[in-house]
Amino acid sequence: LIFVSFQTVCRQLNSTLWLNVGGRSIHSSAVCCKNRAARIRVGKGDRPVTYEQALHPHQIAHRKGWLSQHTSNLQGEDGAADRTVEDLFIRRLIYGTFHGCLADELVIKRRGNLLVICALMLQKLPPHKYYFLVGYTEELLSHFYKCPVKMEIQMLEEKSVYKYL
Amino acid sequence: MDDLRDPTERAYIQNYSIYFCVRPQKLYSLAQESGRTAAKYFINTYPKYFQKDFANPHIPCLMPETLELQVNEVSEAALIERIQLRKVKAAVDMYDQLLQAGTPVSLDLTNDLLDLISLYGDCDPARGDAPEQRTEEMVSLTLTSNNNAERIFNMMPERNRRSYGALIRGMVKHGAYSKAFNTYTDLLNNRLTGDVHIFNALISAAPEVREKYVEKWDLIVDLLKQMAEQKVKPTLLTFNAVLKALRRCGSLGRTQAFPVINEMKALGIATSAQGHTEILQDVLSEISGKSFTAQDPDDGIIKTQIHTFLLFTDSLCDIEQAYRVHSLLGVGENWKLLGDSYYQSIYYGRFFNLLCMMEHIDVVLKWYKELIPSLYYPNSQGMRDLLQALDTDNRLDLIPQIWKDIKRMGHDNKTELVEEMLSLMARENQIPEVQQSFADCALDVKALYTQTDRRVPLSWSAGSLSSITSILLAAERTQQAWEMLKLFKLANRVPESLMNQFLESVKASNNAQQAVELVQISASFCLSITPNLMERVQQEFDLTEEQRNTLSDLESSTAMSD
Repeated sequence: LIFVSFQTVCRQLNSTLWLNVGGRSIHSSAVCCKNRAARIRVGKGDRPVTYEQALHPHQIAHRKGWLSQHTSNLQGEDGAADRTVEDLFIRRLIYGTFHGCLADELVIKRRGNLLVICALMLQKLPPHKYYFLVGYTEELLSHFYKCPVKMEIQMLEEKSVYKYL
Repeated sequence: MDDLRDPTERAYIQNYSIYFCVRPQKLYSLAQESGRTAAKYFINTYPKYFQKDFANPHIPCLMPETLELQVNEVSEAALIERIQLRKVKAAVDMYDQLLQAGTPVSLDLTNDLLDLISLYGDCDPARGDAPEQRTEEMVSLTLTSNNNAERIFNMMPERNRRSYGALIRGMVKHGAYSKAFNTYTDLLNNRLTGDVHIFNALISAAPEVREKYVEKWDLIVDLLKQMAEQKVKPTLLTFNAVLKALRRCGSLGRTQAFPVINEMKALGIATSAQGHTEILQDVLSEISGKSFTAQDPDDGIIKTQIHTFLLFTDSLCDIEQAYRVHSLLGVGENWKLLGDSYYQSIYYGRFFNLLCMMEHIDVVLKWYKELIPSLYYPNSQGMRDLLQALDTDNRLDLIPQIWKDIKRMGHDNKTELVEEMLSLMARENQIPEVQQSFADCALDVKALYTQTDRRVPLSWSAGSLSSITSILLAAERTQQAWEMLKLFKLANRVPESLMNQFLESVKASNNAQQAVELVQISASFCLSITPNLMERVQQEFDLTEEQRNTLSDLESSTAMSD
């Protein structure tokens, strides 16, 4: 599965903080075949793995839900690529902002104009720091994407392990 | 966007933070606000990353603000831009440059500039998203601050009422009161009439330029007369200014307040809550059902008004009035008048206090469930009021539940509260189930006292120890009660009143050995009741030889020490 971004998306990427390539070009990431993507291989049995990680992508809609929920994949709706790129940006931003505190993948939901980011966090920082970071991310993302952004976080004591692979 | 945020927004991170106390909650909301300002700082400092406009229709509040000057050549447009961006010094410089270059500046623009200078007192306002700066040095700038304003004013070829207005209001705002009155006389000399803003400013400045209460009031009346002559209609702000000034007039002010309020009603001015400083019942009947809007910028002080209401109702112990005040808060936008969390806690504290004093326990509990913890976290005084109310209405069986709440709210380190609760539980014997629940509660408290990992460990007092022991005895948990006696020794306290109770329980179990031990313990504490105890034990119990010997030894040793 080769992830390729098209010209309109290139222009968007050009305006992001971490890619300032001028002009139009094809941008591609490294190849990851579909029989290896998002699959954790069975190992010695000492590696803890969450439910999300343990189930492979063919289990989506069977035993897994979706991590990103929006309506642009319905018939007649457009903007799916834009939503995907936005999701990636948001995931990287939050991974860096709350570094080491995320217990599991983010779930991003879009309701109308509103962007809801649902995160499971570990109790690594004192609570007032979490509130600071949440206020910061919400404001930054709202101004960046010109839509209201809300974060809903839940705290866990430790990562919930589903099995050991 | 800020005003439309959910007013009931509270700390939401579940299962982690102890959000039952007021102070962490305030900390969290402040932390969130500072996160937002940090983000705004980045957005406004690097606006080029946030220019892409996805929103259709355009949302202006989500675009970065332009804080830098664009127009740089000497022109009127540059001056307009600087005034809009509130850059006072740059605006004054640009005005001077314009005058030097010989371009005439229009009267309106000059008036705008004067307004700007008067409002900010000659220094640039602090950037909204920059960290808080101390504003103490601003206060000392009062008398010199209007030099620029006065200078520009004097340079103006023609001045109209608006120019005078700007100057007077600036002077009043920054404390140059007598200068303001001089400027007003100047205005009159130039055959101009004042407008409502000038008069409002002068009325609020009036108490400062006269000494005695009577003189102050006379000056205000004089100003009002002049207003009438110049056919200027008073507004809400005028009356608020009058009432505020009356506050400084002491007792004379109070008598004059009533006719002022009547005037207001006669003129049909929609009342702002600021106006009702010292009046009580008739006001309440007037304002019930109407919604206040915070029109006066000083309505920040109105929070104290709500509390003065409650204060008066407190002192009159009038629960009906309190309910009416509380229902007022539900009308329209009045909830905003309650202020920030500090004032809210004062308000709800007083309200709850009044409830506990005046109402039946069922009503109190109903309000308790409603208010706590969603609206109000009672301090330890509030909890004591609640305990009192429980006591008055004989619902002491609810104490264990209240204890759980006390623990959750973090009041379990308040020794007076805990001791009062224990003494209430220990006072009388209850029915068996209640007694058992009391015993569980007492053991919980004991665990709290003996915890060694607390920051400030609770110290035992004779009262708390005896309360817990008597509760345990009444619940027939004799083993634990005996362990308590050991604690007495450790804490260096003396179990005076408990010995008889112990003897009763020992008799019930008919344990002669324990009885002898009891006497030994009593002797070790050198209690005065020891000989009495000894006699009773010897009479009421069947003692073995050994036990009789021990007792007689004790008797002789105590007799010797007497």
